[in-house]
Amino acid sequence: MVSMETQMADLPELDGEEAEGNVGRSLAWIAVAGLGTVFTAGAIVGVIAAATEDGKALSVTAMAIIAALVAIIGALIYTQWNLARRIRTGGGPMTSRERLNRNIMVGCAVLGALIGALLVAMDGVMPSGPITIFKDGPLPLAIAVLLAVFWAVIMPVIAWFWHTRAIDEQEAHAYRDGGYYAAYAYLIGAPTWWFLWRGGLLPEPDGVTIFCGFTIIWTAVWFWKKYR
Amino acid sequence: MQNRLRVLRAERQWSQAELGERLDVSRQAVNAIETGKYDPSLPLAFKIARLFGMKIEEIFDDGFDGDTNG
Repeated sequence: MVSMETQMADLPELDGEEAEGNVGRSLAWIAVAGLGTVFTAGAIVGVIAAATEDGKALSVTAMAIIAALVAIIGALIYTQWNLARRIRTGGGPMTSRERLNRNIMVGCAVLGALIGALLVAMDGVMPSGPITIFKDGPLPLAIAVLLAVFWAVIMPVIAWFWHTRAIDEQEAHAYRDGGYYAAYAYLIGAPTWWFLWRGGLLPEPDGVTIFCGFTIIWTAVWFWKKYR
Repeated sequence: MQNRLRVLRAERQWSQAELGERLDVSRQAVNAIETGKYDPSLPLAFKIARLFGMKIEEIFDDGFDGDTNG
């Protein structure tokens, strides 16, 4: 019997074969470009706020800076579009599971955008100031109930469907690994923060920050394990 | 774990997407198995073996050459 090493060595190089199905690098760059877009947009807001302080009109310098930042955003959005196009066309057609997985992800993103738009629309309704999902300020009762129902009822249904129908065992494995890393980060990080707060070294532990850290670690490991 | 999945797929001129469709997994899963970054479960290994009409040990090699009887 011919050994596996010999068979692998005899295999002719196939064009783009190594890259096929492995889109991790493109996804990572899309994420970096996305973050860059958000930060650049924030910079534009900052420049406008600083330049129009005390009711002043925008100076030529400020307008030039804003134009440069807008150009950067344009370049970043083009980069993301280009990378996404490469992912779509580079690895051949998606399998049925991948299509379902993508549709669920897009659906969740649309739901998230709707919730975000709702929160922005409610901005300033409560006396404590703008309400955002990452702040601790009070929410109107209807919005609070709506968000709670989404998180406690709709999310579990989507998650159950996603786990049972959309993902395969490799992604489930990657997802579990992400959960392990996040759980250990929480088990180690949260009490450490709590001890250091009690010792007067850190501000009081913040639930939203801990939740966001947990989620970011889980997602980062999940994507790394899935696409590396 | 080393495997011959890429060789067997190339012999049949299947893309990773085609093999993924036949195994009901994603292209990423096929890629991860082929590159040795992910070892499939026993049910998936059996499915792969059945698809290619071979035994599991003819496709996957854990590098163990010793006597299993001690």
